Amino acid sequence: MSAIVLVQELVKTYGNVLAVDGISFAIEEGEIFSLLGPNGAGKTTTISILSTLFPPTRGEAWIGGFSITREPMQVRRMIGVIPQEIALYEDLNARENLLFWGQMVGLEGKVLKQRVDEILERVGLVEKARQPVKTYSGGMKRRLNIGVGLLHAPRLLFMDEPTVGIDPQSRRAILDMVKDLNRSGVTILYTTHYMEEAQELSHRIGIIDHGKMIAIGTLSELIRQIGEQEKIILSFSEDQHLAPLVDDLNALAGVNHVIAENHSVTLIVDKAEEILPEVMQWGHQRGLKIRSLQIEEPDLEAVFLHLTGRALRD
Amino acid sequence: MKKILAIIRKDILLRFSSPAEWLFFLILPIVFTVVLSMGTPSENADHRSVLLVVDEAQTSLSREILRQLEKSSVVRPVETNRQDAEQRFRERKVEFWMLIPEGVTEERQQKGEDLTLTFYEQPNQTIALAARRSVQESLRAVTQSLQAAQFAVEQAEEVRPFENEAQRLAYYQEARSLAIRLQNEAPERLAVIRENTPDSVPYDPRANSSAGQLITWVFIPLFGISVLMVGEREGHTLARLMTTPTSAGTFLAGTILGQVFLALVQMALLIGFGMVVLKVPWGREPLGLALLLTASALSAAALGTLLGTMVRSTSQANNLSIMLGMVMALLGGCWYPLELFPQAVQTAVKILPTTWAMQGMLDLTLRAGSVRDIWLESGVLLGFAAVFFLVGIWRFRRQLR
Repeated sequence: MSAIVLVQELVKTYGNVLAVDGISFAIEEGEIFSLLGPNGAGKTTTISILSTLFPPTRGEAWIGGFSITREPMQVRRMIGVIPQEIALYEDLNARENLLFWGQMVGLEGKVLKQRVDEILERVGLVEKARQPVKTYSGGMKRRLNIGVGLLHAPRLLFMDEPTVGIDPQSRRAILDMVKDLNRSGVTILYTTHYMEEAQELSHRIGIIDHGKMIAIGTLSELIRQIGEQEKIILSFSEDQHLAPLVDDLNALAGVNHVIAENHSVTLIVDKAEEILPEVMQWGHQRGLKIRSLQIEEPDLEAVFLHLTGRALRD
Repeated sequence: MKKILAIIRKDILLRFSSPAEWLFFLILPIVFTVVLSMGTPSENADHRSVLLVVDEAQTSLSREILRQLEKSSVVRPVETNRQDAEQRFRERKVEFWMLIPEGVTEERQQKGEDLTLTFYEQPNQTIALAARRSVQESLRAVTQSLQAAQFAVEQAEEVRPFENEAQRLAYYQEARSLAIRLQNEAPERLAVIRENTPDSVPYDPRANSSAGQLITWVFIPLFGISVLMVGEREGHTLARLMTTPTSAGTFLAGTILGQVFLALVQMALLIGFGMVVLKVPWGREPLGLALLLTASALSAAALGTLLGTMVRSTSQANNLSIMLGMVMALLGGCWYPLELFPQAVQTAVKILPTTWAMQGMLDLTLRAGSVRDIWLESGVLLGFAAVFFLVGIWRFRRQLR
């Protein structure tokens, strides 16, 4: 396999703010590569630079062998971009939007009309194609927003948090569409702050925080970075005050991190089965009413916590 | 080129997606043009000062005085009662008024009695002096015919006395009629020629309204290019466009040319209306007109482009476009003749494209100018366009980074 995206020491500053801090990575052809990180981590800035929206302050990147700074038009012909925001003309209908955007990516004549029909079919908007976009639901707009990015059948697709703010059903449909696209040979750079999406979709994941790439690899490679850690999730009855108990739990041998929220406590531990009796005894001694107990394999949340000391959603 | 046409088509679809756009594109401009062409004074209107006349005599002599006053080029006699005249004079609603008291009769005149009319005037009014002179002139015309008839009767009596009073009166009236006719037929001793000197105030309400409203209602949507540009930014479509194989130059060309094209169509419709309905002579110099309209549209479009790089939101751009359009049209002489403003203002407003556009259009319609007469206006407008475009495009490209 060959790298379709190659990024070297990319830096972007806005005045004194360092938005992207020396990021380097490569994406192989046919991959789904996710950039995972909290809001403000630098994901959108990175994707914007790679899609030639604006140049980097320093560093360089190549898309399909073309430099993003010296050959932006060649790069743009290769890529499809699905921005985080709905970037459509709301007073036009879906067909008019697709016809316009198709012309902007160089399609014309019968090919354009054929592609518009195919995309309308793909995003399930054939029947609503002549209604103004402003009358669409959020999910319909999202699907059309994705459809615009697929018009010229790009080799490489940049998807910037495409599931933000939509209902679970639409989200599921979009995730299935991403997998489907990838199966048809499209390479995808996917940014998200939803750990589950990155886990489900990605061949490889880059974890980004404060503009830096702090880890990169497959899911299993990333989890191996933090050792054999597991997660114990304890749910308590509603009248418990958990915050004062965090220090007690942290003091137990084998507990690496404790996260208390609402009526549950999550423990990141070395080996769940070894520490579980001690935790149960601790709860019993304090008269805590445990409603449920769950043991999970390590996930990206644990990786992020391990690497940054913070939860991904903080 | 295909992409530019696609952007133009998209902007036209967006602009006319609301039927309300027709209100601003055609209906309001036509309504304002018609209203202002009718509502402002024309060359045919009576510009004479109003002279209130209270005729308490109600005699043939007093009516004759009023008829003579009607012929005045300075005052226009308007009959009223004494109370109304006094009140309006007190309230300074009129500069002067005249009383023809009871007893002003031809009989008394014939007997040589002293008949006095009273002329009231406000202090320090130059126009009152001219009005008084005009009244005196009218009285002189009346009394001269009376005196001439009287003199003729006296001369006739010296030759042969009248047989009775009826014969004498008939002779008097025949002589009076002859005197009046001779007075009317007398050759003018003063020929007045009104010259079209360069510093005169050229004004024709139809031409001024047609040109002024055209500039107002075309410049505002052209300034509205700023709304389009900010709208693309706010709606994230500009960012998306800049990730397609479409250059910033193509985007700007499509956005600007589309609005300039619509402006030219709008101008052609308004000019057609002016020519057909208001009989404004727009068609004298088609080449000059085309040059001037294009230069005007480009200068306004360029300013709209520059504004688009300066404002932050569509609502801000909208408000600023309308405000700037209205103020610049007003100061540029599109609503009132520029000559009504003080000289300093007339000089200052030369920094506005609306001033030059209006000047050029009046050169073509009012002053029957040719291409040579509007080269300066067209040149200045194109200069504005060049400067605004350069700065606007430079700022736009910088913002993309």
